[in-house]
Amino acid sequence: MAVEVKKQTQFTMVQALRSALFEEMERDENVVCLGEDIGPRGGVFLVTEGLIDRFGKDRVIDTPLAEAGIIGAALGMALRGLKPVAEIQFIDFLYPGFDNLVSEVAKMRYRSAGQFGASMVVRSPYGGGVRGGGYHSQSPEAYYVATPGLKVVVPSNPYDAKGLLISSIRDPDPVVFMEPKKIYRAVKSELPEGPYEVPLGKAAVSRAGKHVSVITFGAMVPVAWEAADKMKADGVEVEVVDMRTLQPYDTDAIMQTVAKTGHVVVLQEAPRIGGYGGEIAAFVAEQAIEYIEGPIMRVAGHDTPFPYALEKAYMPTSDRVCRAIKKTLNF
Amino acid sequence: MEIKPFTGKTIKCIEYDGKPAVDLTSLGIGPERYFEMYRWLVFTRAVDDRGYILVRQGRAGFYAQTAGQEASQVGSALPLQPQDWMYGDHRSQGSQLVKGLSTAEWFAHILGKSLDPTAGRSMPGHIGRNSLHIVPPSSTVGNQITEAVGTAMAQRIKKTDEVTICYFGDGATSEGDFHVGMNFAAVYGSPCILFCQNNQYAISVRLEEQTHTKTIAEKAHAYGMDGYLVDGNDVLAVYAVTKHCVDRARRGDGPALIEAYTYRYGPHSSADDDTRYRPKGELEMWRRERDPVTRFRNFLESQKLWDADKEAELLAEIKAQVAAAMEEAEKSPVPEPLSVFDHVYEKLTPHLEWERKELAAEMAAGAQG
Repeated sequence: MAVEVKKQTQFTMVQALRSALFEEMERDENVVCLGEDIGPRGGVFLVTEGLIDRFGKDRVIDTPLAEAGIIGAALGMALRGLKPVAEIQFIDFLYPGFDNLVSEVAKMRYRSAGQFGASMVVRSPYGGGVRGGGYHSQSPEAYYVATPGLKVVVPSNPYDAKGLLISSIRDPDPVVFMEPKKIYRAVKSELPEGPYEVPLGKAAVSRAGKHVSVITFGAMVPVAWEAADKMKADGVEVEVVDMRTLQPYDTDAIMQTVAKTGHVVVLQEAPRIGGYGGEIAAFVAEQAIEYIEGPIMRVAGHDTPFPYALEKAYMPTSDRVCRAIKKTLNF
Repeated sequence: MEIKPFTGKTIKCIEYDGKPAVDLTSLGIGPERYFEMYRWLVFTRAVDDRGYILVRQGRAGFYAQTAGQEASQVGSALPLQPQDWMYGDHRSQGSQLVKGLSTAEWFAHILGKSLDPTAGRSMPGHIGRNSLHIVPPSSTVGNQITEAVGTAMAQRIKKTDEVTICYFGDGATSEGDFHVGMNFAAVYGSPCILFCQNNQYAISVRLEEQTHTKTIAEKAHAYGMDGYLVDGNDVLAVYAVTKHCVDRARRGDGPALIEAYTYRYGPHSSADDDTRYRPKGELEMWRRERDPVTRFRNFLESQKLWDADKEAELLAEIKAQVAAAMEEAEKSPVPEPLSVFDHVYEKLTPHLEWERKELAAEMAAGAQG
């Protein structure tokens, strides 16, 4: 498996993530992975496939089925000098470890006044569109973004996934690394050979345009592209900004795109109320109102739990994004 | 003296009146170690008394007294080495002092002064010291247990000769983190000593309302781990049992659960009123008949190792030491307000820089106005 990874140049996101883990574990013997079914099974999405054969079970640790244990133990390992990369099978299952994450991991540096740091990563697939129902589809980024001490990273493509995961592992602070499972295998990208970093805290203009900015992240980036393609027929050029890191976030990138287009649509899968898009909208309203020429629109999941059979009715679509674009442009 | 798990009997070395309960020669320690133990018992109580006075004077917002539990804490911390790690709860100050925590820093912590190594970030009882491998305790009861086990897992993975001790109370054994932590510790054979200070009350809820097992030690059975029930007011017994478990863990023989049966004299904290839930006479009985400090002094006297002159000399020395530490703590300044933004992350994020500037401006405006 490992040999195959090194030779290929076209990677899915799953393969890119696996390659990041493989190379970081090769580079630094303190990097360890722990989680449920990550050993011989390779993780339920196969991100850790083959790692146990190369690094053994002291560094690729199949844990008992207890998320509080995974997060708590990862913190204890981090304090003692390991670099744990914990996998939570689905981010919907993180809640038994939520206390350990938000009360302990997030605040260890602060409440020890910098004596102890929790350099660790919690990786987990998130998001809908895979017929997973409520327990396998949610986008809970708002909880983690609202917790000082945590960094929150969401890649949208294989290249960023690898570079952001490597940066997260090397970062001195704890990172919640949310992997958009819907696009785990949707596209392949060309990746350079060997490790590289994509810096945390930096957004990317994933498509340039001049009339309206769609600010989004993760699995909604392809939805924004689809909306951008549809808007071309109306002569509207859509700029798509991929936040990549939700906390701490790239305020410069937001200021630049808003100054350029004057129209903002924020797009997320999570419910609208209390969501991350509200933070971006509020930032724009506070800091960039002089550029704004239409309402700041939010396109989001409904304010309902995530439904199984009615998934399509729930998920934001490119048509909904187009309607929001038209509403702000025609204000 | 043979130390065995799950005997159904409380392991004890000295009787309540101070007479040896077993042949003590097998402990392999002599008068110097006894004096060290006694000194720590008296010192812990003196520091604790002084800490509580700060609350009564209105100079601290909160304090959890440790009086009554000194033998559990001192006896379990003495077998540790400097390289070992310690996770406490909010009533672990005796163990932390034995591990090397500076008394002045402890008082500064209660007062919220800069000398506090945690810079006034947490309520009293949540101190940590990286250089001593003392991790700051959590208030969410029990989650230090999974963390401690993780540290012990790392100690094993990194092939160190270290062990980790983790303190928690009887109430914590109802939390999920206790069960998860016990299971992880056993599954990975981690060098972890899970030390329960069973003071019989979780704030107000008595042990028999907390759990349906007769003891806490027996819970270890279910995880495939050894469990020991020790008289927590008998410093020698606590020392002997903990040393046994520390030695085993260091040899690679895995974790253990120790239940130290003890009693707290004070309320749960300065915010609690323990007269609402303690049966009449219970506290007085423990103080009168089972006090860990008096009991060990009786032992020393029964061995002709101690007398009134030595006692007076020790009390005077400790009084001076406590006073000097308090003076040092009081001299320390309160933390600078703009430091509120430090250590959220290793570096200030753009948002925190922005908020820091705002607060600085507000402060400047306030000073002018």
